[in-house]
Amino acid sequence: MNRNEFLNSLKSQLIKIPESERADILYDYNEHFTIGIKEGRKESEIAASLGNPSVIAKEINANHMINKAEQSYNLTNTFSALLAIFGLGFLNLVFVLGPFMGIVGTLFALLVSGIAIAISGIALIIAPFLANIIPNLENYLSIHPAVLITSGIGLIAFGILWIIGFSYLIKLFYQLTIKYLKLNLNIILNRRNQND
Amino acid sequence: MNIQFKKGVLELCVLAILHKKNCYGYELVHDISNSFAISEGTIYPLLSRLKSEGFVTTYLEESQEGPPRKYYQLTKTGKLFYNELKQEWITFIAGVNNIIKEGELIE
Repeated sequence: MNRNEFLNSLKSQLIKIPESERADILYDYNEHFTIGIKEGRKESEIAASLGNPSVIAKEINANHMINKAEQSYNLTNTFSALLAIFGLGFLNLVFVLGPFMGIVGTLFALLVSGIAIAISGIALIIAPFLANIIPNLENYLSIHPAVLITSGIGLIAFGILWIIGFSYLIKLFYQLTIKYLKLNLNIILNRRNQND
Repeated sequence: MNIQFKKGVLELCVLAILHKKNCYGYELVHDISNSFAISEGTIYPLLSRLKSEGFVTTYLEESQEGPPRKYYQLTKTGKLFYNELKQEWITFIAGVNNIIKEGELIE
């Protein structure tokens, strides 16, 4: 493999990296070739000592996705990081992705139920006022309006606490996921270097 | 030399050299190779990771021969990180040496 083949191969596999960052990475390798050739080494020899461009690209991509997920909390980034790591061929897609989606779904459902609790509180508060507008509603409301309003406030407060609690739990789960991905990346990289 | 040894200390070696002087990538590989053999490809992903973590920055400097070279420089947090890592390393090898010495006594 000569210099151009190496650099083109690396470049074509770094399409997910932002342009400026990619140029920065390629600059390093290009410079390495320039100096190496000046020292009288062959292009193919330098390319061989640098290693396989696909392996280098996979490592850079995985690192990039994890950094991105770490910097901004969102599901798409975490997902990309997961997929980048799967690309390195270490984690089993089904065994990790299944439980991951399950936990994400459960946490989301619990968050939504918090919102539902808060909304039912609001409904209790406005129910006595609705009774004046909707004629037959009065028959169903045998409870004193004051009781309705205080329990409504109670439910809203409970709903908000619930939402805050689960938001913390979601954040914690997110951080644990990132940590787990980083750990995996380190294991993969260590293994690879051992195989070199 | 054992590959696992190298892998662990490469980061520390890079930081130590950058603590002494600003370097371009090839120079780093060359300097480390004077002490032990490394695979050249491992240094650049390491450098770009250190950069994204804010431990080093880069700047371009003209060279007499060919295009400008990219120099790596330790940041303030990079220096702190280096000192931390160095301290850990010193404590670690002191412990390992102790264990080896005790083993020697029995022989």
